[in-house]
Amino acid sequence: MTAILEVRNVTMRFGGLVANEHVSMSVQDGEIFAVIGPNGAGKTTLFNAITGIYEATEGEILFEGKEIRREWSRRTSVRAYAVGIATALVAVFAINATALWQGAIVEKYVYAQPFPWREAMATLVTTMRASGFWTTWGIGLIGFVLGRLGYGAIWRAQRRTPDLVARAGIARTFQNIRLFAEMNLVENVLVGMDQHCRCGYWACLLRPPRFWREQATMHTRAFEFLKFVELADAAGSLARSLPYGHQRRLEIARALATEPKLILLDEPAAGMNPAESADLMRLIRRIRDRGITVVLIEHDMKVVMGISDRIVVLQHGKKIAEGTPEEIRTNPVCIAAYLGTEVVN
Amino acid sequence: MAISSKRITINLMLIAVVAIIPVVEKYVPLGWHISDPMTDVFVYAILGLGLNILTGFTGLLNLGVAAFAAIGAYVFAISTCEIYPFQLGFWSALGLTMAAGALAGFALGAPTLRVRGDYLAIVTLGFGEIVKDVLVNMDSITKGTQGINPLPPPTLFGTELSGNGQYWLFMGIVLVVVAGARRLERSRIGRGWISIREDELASRAMGIRPDHAKMLAFATCASLAALAGALTASRLSSSGEPGNYDFQISILALCIVIVGGLGSVRGVLLGALVMVGMNSIVLVKLTELIGGSDAAPASALADAHGVQWALLFIKTWAQNVLMSPTNWKFLVFGLALVLMMIFRPEGMLPARGTKEDAPDGDDGASGATAVANKELRP
Repeated sequence: MTAILEVRNVTMRFGGLVANEHVSMSVQDGEIFAVIGPNGAGKTTLFNAITGIYEATEGEILFEGKEIRREWSRRTSVRAYAVGIATALVAVFAINATALWQGAIVEKYVYAQPFPWREAMATLVTTMRASGFWTTWGIGLIGFVLGRLGYGAIWRAQRRTPDLVARAGIARTFQNIRLFAEMNLVENVLVGMDQHCRCGYWACLLRPPRFWREQATMHTRAFEFLKFVELADAAGSLARSLPYGHQRRLEIARALATEPKLILLDEPAAGMNPAESADLMRLIRRIRDRGITVVLIEHDMKVVMGISDRIVVLQHGKKIAEGTPEEIRTNPVCIAAYLGTEVVN
Repeated sequence: MAISSKRITINLMLIAVVAIIPVVEKYVPLGWHISDPMTDVFVYAILGLGLNILTGFTGLLNLGVAAFAAIGAYVFAISTCEIYPFQLGFWSALGLTMAAGALAGFALGAPTLRVRGDYLAIVTLGFGEIVKDVLVNMDSITKGTQGINPLPPPTLFGTELSGNGQYWLFMGIVLVVVAGARRLERSRIGRGWISIREDELASRAMGIRPDHAKMLAFATCASLAALAGALTASRLSSSGEPGNYDFQISILALCIVIVGGLGSVRGVLLGALVMVGMNSIVLVKLTELIGGSDAAPASALADAHGVQWALLFIKTWAQNVLMSPTNWKFLVFGLALVLMMIFRPEGMLPARGTKEDAPDGDDGASGATAVANKELRP
């Protein structure tokens, strides 16, 4: 087995608050891995750091052996310079707009006579020249630098965004369910499948045959995902009209629809009765049987101990233990974290 | 595919009713003259449909949609007017206008992607004012407050259209825009937009690229608003003065979308009919009915003295200002909005069912719903 996800020395700081401190863990391909710990231990923060919602203050997160990051490629470079040049052109033309228009258009055009385009272009150039070296080149340079740096700044801020992580193959659910309430079940799942759609804006607008073919396949597959979580019967109803337990399952279906290699479940059993959590455990096993690695945060010990292959325990942002359910159950440090230490008088 | 035959019949009947209005008007002399204001309704419907894509689907509040209409009107005017050498035909100018609108949308969208909610509203509001001021001050190009005129009327296959021809052309364009908006809504593009409105973080975590989606929404909105501006300019044969494209227009467009139902294409059409119809049909007719022009003649005022004069003055003033319902429009709009927010905040024709239930079988609110229902039927 190889490590599909490796968290190395991750520290998350929010100002003075340290949510995770030097957390390291390694999730093997194909296992069910649980992260547990008392409330406020930094479990969800860790998930957010993994999925790119937060940028880890220190440390690195490797998925399949490498960090998920946008690289500064040749294409990015070309785009950055193109944006710079475009800004420069807009700036130069905007600052000289009136003079250029006056010289090239208004003075050249005689009513109802063919317009001398060539002459107008020549005037355009001479007017630009005449407007002074610095007004043209200076403004152009400022425009170029602004455009180029602006593009760079945006790129830098978006090196590791949640959508990039999702596209790389990590899906997640949320602790407080975040479905698209006004969309129905199929549409919720279809949003998850979006990255696998090939039709672009114009195809969606003009609808060539390949659009219809793709739509048919996508709908069939969306139904398969809904059947997988046993929600196909309610496919047409709005997500917000579902009962709580079903909403959790729909969130899982939506995450599965992104066809991830790794799925992060944030408290999937929260608010479920014993029968429902037993169903959930079966569902999680079936997810794993599809070849998807599962990492879950859970407070329900029955669920955690029942399905996990390995468990990590966090407290106050630090990892205090790691091991199989059996090891964790008997680990005095974990018992202390959950129940407190015995005071002997 | 998704629409039941019943729905198709109803839609076709509605289209037919709207289409024969000018004919009825010609042969049945009721003296209504509503085909002219109806053309306004069409233009506002296009503006509303554009705004609906940005504000209704994607959930980005835009208070400067009039600026895009202004850009559309001026690009159309500059590219067709005989005082400039370009003199494109109606349709190529329309295409250029929509492209320019989309470009303007990109230009505003790109730097403001990170700005959300109220802050984006302020940015768009500022953009609206800037565009207006630029148009006034670049007077060597835009002719300042005179506006650019004359502009050629709309043409179809080389024939110049006027009156009823324009009515039907504009109606046709509205239908095309409606079809486009619905197609986008029921595809992955629309689902991406709506998912961003519903929960941006969740949609990012599902692999939707919000920047991409928002830029498309901005460009589509701006391009439709520009189309609306260009159509108005062509109809009035003038770009109008920049002051025509002020905040009021943006707010009217927003009211159309909100009253009709945010995110609902049918709602926007009804909203345009109600809001603009109220403004340019109902209130105007009411004014004529009440006879707002029958104010006391100025001569009577000149002859009167003292208390008599004061009474007469008040009466005249009241007749002029209050008895003319066209002056009530902001009162009516305001009241309508307040009542809507209290009793039906989701709009007259909301995008989805208002009750806690599944959409009914023939609703066809989305392709997926219909497929779902079809699949479920034994």
